[in-house]
Parts: sequence; structure tokens; C-alpha cells
Amino acid sequence: MTPEENISKLLRLKRYEQPPPGYFDGFLREFQSRQRSDLLRLSLWEIVWDRISTIAPSFQVPRFAYASVAALALAASVFIIARPATKAPGNLAESRQSLTLTSPQPVMIGASLPVVMTSTGSPSVHYVLPTSPVSYASSRSF
Amino acid sequence: MEEPSETSDEELVARTQAGEARAFDELVVRFSPRLYGLVYNMTSNHEDTNDLLQEIFAKAYRSIKGFQGKSRFSTWMHTIAVNRAINFLKKRNRRMTMSLDDVDNGIANDPDFIEATSDHDPRHQANLGELQQKLNEAMMKLSHDHRAVVTMYDIQGLPHAEIAGILKISVGTVRSRLFYAHRQLQNYLQEFISQ
Repeated sequence: MTPEENISKLLRLKRYEQPPPGYFDGFLREFQSRQRSDLLRLSLWEIVWDRISTIAPSFQVPRFAYASVAALALAASVFIIARPATKAPGNLAESRQSLTLTSPQPVMIGASLPVVMTSTGSPSVHYVLPTSPVSYASSRSF
Repeated sequence: MEEPSETSDEELVARTQAGEARAFDELVVRFSPRLYGLVYNMTSNHEDTNDLLQEIFAKAYRSIKGFQGKSRFSTWMHTIAVNRAINFLKKRNRRMTMSLDDVDNGIANDPDFIEATSDHDPRHQANLGELQQKLNEAMMKLSHDHRAVVTMYDIQGLPHAEIAGILKISVGTVRSRLFYAHRQLQNYLQEFISQ
């Protein structure tokens, strides 16, 4: 006898592991009472969800549905990528220029405090904070 | 215990689908012993098996309207049972309890048991409890998927093709899982295997 057969023979002995006598009689009664109590406990939402999850596996997906969805997604991607840009590159350059630091408009920080500009037109990096420094705050003793 | 009638599973299923709850009760009576064996040998615990079995039949009852008869009803029931048992085992911490009282007394007269526990080697004389414990420990060392295949093939005696249908895998995969599981079990149960 091969070791494989020996193992199968040993495992077959596990068929003798049985529940206590009368177990299966009580099992059906327990099942029926659990079913009834479960039905009473279920909320409307749970009943609806249960129905949906029961019916869902029986939905038939058309044969080429996945391929059609993939093809549509591909076509949409190609359309988006190949679409001409709405603004010409020249406009973009202009708009970039208008955002340089030498811009004549003051840059507002916090509560409408302007960046101080020098007479030469170059901005001096000088920010005015709307609050007093921490070191000026009154000390508290504990 | 109520004796199952001669009515076919399919007829009982159709009657249940038509709303006859008593027909499902008969299916419960018919399938609970074999599903008990399946779940018990995967969990090695009677209380867990009882709870799982209740859940399995409750799930089957809720889903039976979706059963279209593409597979046999027994295959469908086994699929629910195996999936539920595997999900349970994934969540359960490693805990193994068993009762020696669960063993049917008939085992003492089984020639395979006598052979496994008799005087091949006096050093390895084993009693019923020791053998059962070793068998359970060996089973628990298998992965859930391997244990399911071993339970259905070796303990329940289901053919490869039916196991493949239940687990939705190929027959080749069933055979390879069995081969691997048997090899592992040989290592664990060396002392009980006659040379």
C-alpha cells in the first residue's frame, strides 16, 4: 500500500466524528426559530439589500459588454488627448509675463497690506505682518 | 430523525422557490449531515460548525430564488458551505478545541483504525484519543484551501470533478492540491502510517 493510500485510509476515520445523538433533530428546530427571529429583526433596508444581493448574481451581462465599455473608454481618451487647445501659446506667454515680480500692482498679503516697492521699480522683499511679534506679547505667570 | 423522502432535490428546490417553506425544511434535513461533516472537518469545532451550518442554510434559503439549476443543488450547497467556512477560518484566531465524545463508537471496530493503532510497532501504540488528536492537528496545519479539498475527497468521498465544480477550479488543481496536502499529512502522521 502506498503512503498516499495510507493517508487516505487514516483520513477516512474522521467520518466517525459525529455530533451528539439527536443533534440533527434539534438542528432543524433551531434553524426554524432563528429564521423567524431574523425576519422580525431585519430592518426594511436590510430586507431590500438582501433581495438585491439575491437577484444580482442572476443578472446576465451581455457577451460583448466589457469590450464595448473598454472601446468607449479608449475612444473618449483619444478624443480628449487629440482635442485642440482652447488658447494659443502666445496668450500663455503674455499671461506669464503679467505675473512677474516686476508687476506694477502691489501684492497684497494678509489684511490688505501692500508690498513696499522701491523707487527703481524693483520690489524690496519687505512684508508687514498684521499682528505684533510674539516677543511683545505680555508674559503670563503660572 | 425524520427520514428524507424520495422527492428529488430539484423538485424540493422548485417548491421552495414557489414559496413552500416546508420543502426547504426537507432540504435542511437532507443536507445537514453531509454539510456538518464538511464544516466540522474544516473547523474541528462543534459549536462553530453548528453556528456556521445555521448561517449556511439561512444564506441558501435567502438565495434559493437565484438558483437556476446550472449545477446540481448539492454542488451549489457545498459551494456556499465551503466559502462560508473558509471566510470564517480566515477570521478565526488559531484555536482548536474538540471533544472526544464526538467520535462515533463504531470507529473502534473499523479495520483501518485497528490497523493504525495496533501492534505494528509497540512504541507507537496509540489510542483513539491520540489518533483523533493527531489527525485534527495534522488537518489544522493544512491551508484552508488544501483542507477543503482533503475533507471533500478523503473524508466525504466526493469525486475530483465535483470538488472542482464546488471550488470553481480545474480538476488538475484539485489533484495537485490533494497531492501536496497528502505529502504534508504524511510528514505529520508518519507514526501512524504502516510501512
